[in-house]
Amino acid sequence: MSFEPKILVFACNWCSYNAMDLAGTSRIQYPPNVRVIRVMCSSRVSPEMVLLALSNGADGVLITGCHPGDCHYVSGNYATLRRFKLLKKLLKELGLEKRVELEWFSASEGEKFAKYITEFVERIRRLGPLELSEE
Amino acid sequence: MKIPGPRIGVYVCHCGLNIAGVINVKEVVEYAKKLPNVVVSRDYVFMCSAPGQNLIKEDIEKEKLDRVVVAACSPSMHEPTFRAALEDGGLNPYLLEMVNIREHSSWVHSKEKEAATEKAKDLIRMAVMRASLLEPLEKIKTPVENKVLVIGGGISGLRAALDLAERGFFVHLVERSPVLGGKTPRISLVRGGKSGREILAPILEKISSSEKIRLHLNSEVKSVDGSIGSFKVKVLKRPRFVNERCNLCGKCEEVCPIEVENEFEFGLNKRKAIFLPYKGSYPEIYAIDQEVCTKCGECVKVCEPGAINLEEAEEEFNLEVGAIIVAAGHDYYEPPKGEYSYGLSSKVITTLQLERLLSDDGPTGGELIVDGERPESVAFIHCVGSLGTTPSSKEYCSRMCCYASLKNALRIKKKYPKTKVFVLHKDIRTYGLDEDIYWDSLEEFVRFLRFEDPPLVRVKDGKLEIEVFEVNLQERLLIPVDLVVLSVGMVSPRGLDELSSILKISCGPEAFLKEAHLKLRPVESLSDGIFLAGSVTGPKDVIESIISGSAAASKAAGVVSKEEVEVEPIVAEVNEDLCSGCGICVSLCPYGAISIKEKEGKRLAEVDPMKCKGCGSCAASCPSGAMQQKHFKDRQIMAEIVSLREVMV
Repeated sequence: MSFEPKILVFACNWCSYNAMDLAGTSRIQYPPNVRVIRVMCSSRVSPEMVLLALSNGADGVLITGCHPGDCHYVSGNYATLRRFKLLKKLLKELGLEKRVELEWFSASEGEKFAKYITEFVERIRRLGPLELSEE
Repeated sequence: MKIPGPRIGVYVCHCGLNIAGVINVKEVVEYAKKLPNVVVSRDYVFMCSAPGQNLIKEDIEKEKLDRVVVAACSPSMHEPTFRAALEDGGLNPYLLEMVNIREHSSWVHSKEKEAATEKAKDLIRMAVMRASLLEPLEKIKTPVENKVLVIGGGISGLRAALDLAERGFFVHLVERSPVLGGKTPRISLVRGGKSGREILAPILEKISSSEKIRLHLNSEVKSVDGSIGSFKVKVLKRPRFVNERCNLCGKCEEVCPIEVENEFEFGLNKRKAIFLPYKGSYPEIYAIDQEVCTKCGECVKVCEPGAINLEEAEEEFNLEVGAIIVAAGHDYYEPPKGEYSYGLSSKVITTLQLERLLSDDGPTGGELIVDGERPESVAFIHCVGSLGTTPSSKEYCSRMCCYASLKNALRIKKKYPKTKVFVLHKDIRTYGLDEDIYWDSLEEFVRFLRFEDPPLVRVKDGKLEIEVFEVNLQERLLIPVDLVVLSVGMVSPRGLDELSSILKISCGPEAFLKEAHLKLRPVESLSDGIFLAGSVTGPKDVIESIISGSAAASKAAGVVSKEEVEVEPIVAEVNEDLCSGCGICVSLCPYGAISIKEKEGKRLAEVDPMKCKGCGSCAASCPSGAMQQKHFKDRQIMAEIVSLREVMV
């Protein structure tokens, strides 16, 4: 049986979560490997949360938010972007940088979300399972 | 003392066959029963129906539930419904957790039933773990100041102010220029047959006599603090230097040595540094342009009523309001010098300049005379600054410009029937009922020429020549004309950047202010209590601006008619024992809601819950975990993450 990665998506309440909802209402199909955690803003996602997910069964993590300039909280997603760049450096040291991505989705980009997540699942599938545990 | 664990009820909705047609609901219900702290797990065909909600209410009483997990549709659909059900059942509404197994599972994995079922189980497991740690929250209530600030004295701002005043609310109207009216008085013929000034007159008359409206002309908003219900606004008022004693004798204007372009006539003529913005303006008194006045004092000497005071100073004052309407309007696209030979020949003008030339109160008294000559052939070029026709063009369509140029083409044809009129266009968008004007233009022998690549306008020995590839004829045409009219689109007004950052609301990609939702909340911003009216959200004509002014007024009235408003309590809070006062959160907060305070010799972060909008940016950056966002605490989110793995009891 082929490896089915488990992907965690952090979705912001205003844009990307609604993009996922729109993919649903438009019945656009994408792989069922995704689990979702809703936060009010992508800037609520701390680096610890990403690492915790990778050490608790997630093979890949996708942080999503509103497009730059479109943040419901004015500049929250810029904080996300800056934090993500630092996180990437850390992940690189751990050899995990390919497993975490950041992408923007407006509430009307249901199709874009479905396409992106389909490709992301494939990228993670090619990387194989992440054998990390807390021990 | 033994602290009883949480008692969770899980409710799985079939949503008819929307969920149950894909997900094995029975299997999910049985699975949920085995999850930690779950005391009851049920399914129902429509959880959102009254019997569905009753299931929850009954279990709260019978099973002593203190947490509820509903696996159904998107929380944006029914979270308010189920929160209300919890409240009815005697539980705090924030002890609800929703799992979206419809939009996020059954609808997007309709062919993979098993995988969709497994996903639903995972999502419910994560929600149950989070629900165990949810805490009751009380909505924050804040008293409402029943006044409204309207920013912008154009037609939509005026309509909004008047609507509110007529409903009995006090309005502060802040306008940057020395007069009211905005762009409307310059438009000599509005859709439906009246001039802009005729439309404005009755509104201005009522505004000027209203006791409920205080005008702040020559004024700009400098800062806005606070939130819905109580905004604290700082306004800067620039001096007008001329007071109501002005009797419009005009002697000051004669002696004033400074001459600049007259913006009211779009630069078609000049005005002095002391000027009457336009005849019939409100207020109809002179004003001095602070930017260019040298304070030579000549005007003071000739002013018989003594209405001029050059010593008048700027003043700053504070207002308190419960809601804000932003009606800052638009500007027109200004073609860069050389685009279609604009600025190279006085015979290349914009539609706005033509509008003024055809106005009875315009610089030529309504005669089409440019540079002393009456053109015998006129060519309109459409989509100037729109649809990406040139490198400096915007990508969008302003909608008004097609109507405006055809309207003026017909006026020219009517007044000077022998004039040849060409319209060079991409598409013609005289939308809605205005389609008639397109047919009328055809009947009046206005020649329509369609282009894909923008036409070239050349100035040869003082004469104009247009070169265009006509796509229907598939032929290159050379057309000599006497006048070229550029049909320019609408752009966001100057200074909107600054205003949007003062108000903490964002601009869309086209630099106009963004609505909370284009269709569902078209006159609201994403900041509670701040509403948007008129063309500040994108191109609108006079009529549409009036409509949106009224709409924004009624939305604002919805806020200021209340005694108090409720604010979501998902704000940040500080654990003072853990906080080291490092201040990282202060610099991250988009709302300036966090400050560092001394308390018993210790530096501590302090959150103003009225300013905090609950993004959680501070909580994610706090190195000690002292800063937490209510309802999205670290441990609540982490519980979800940790339970990505199976956790069985």
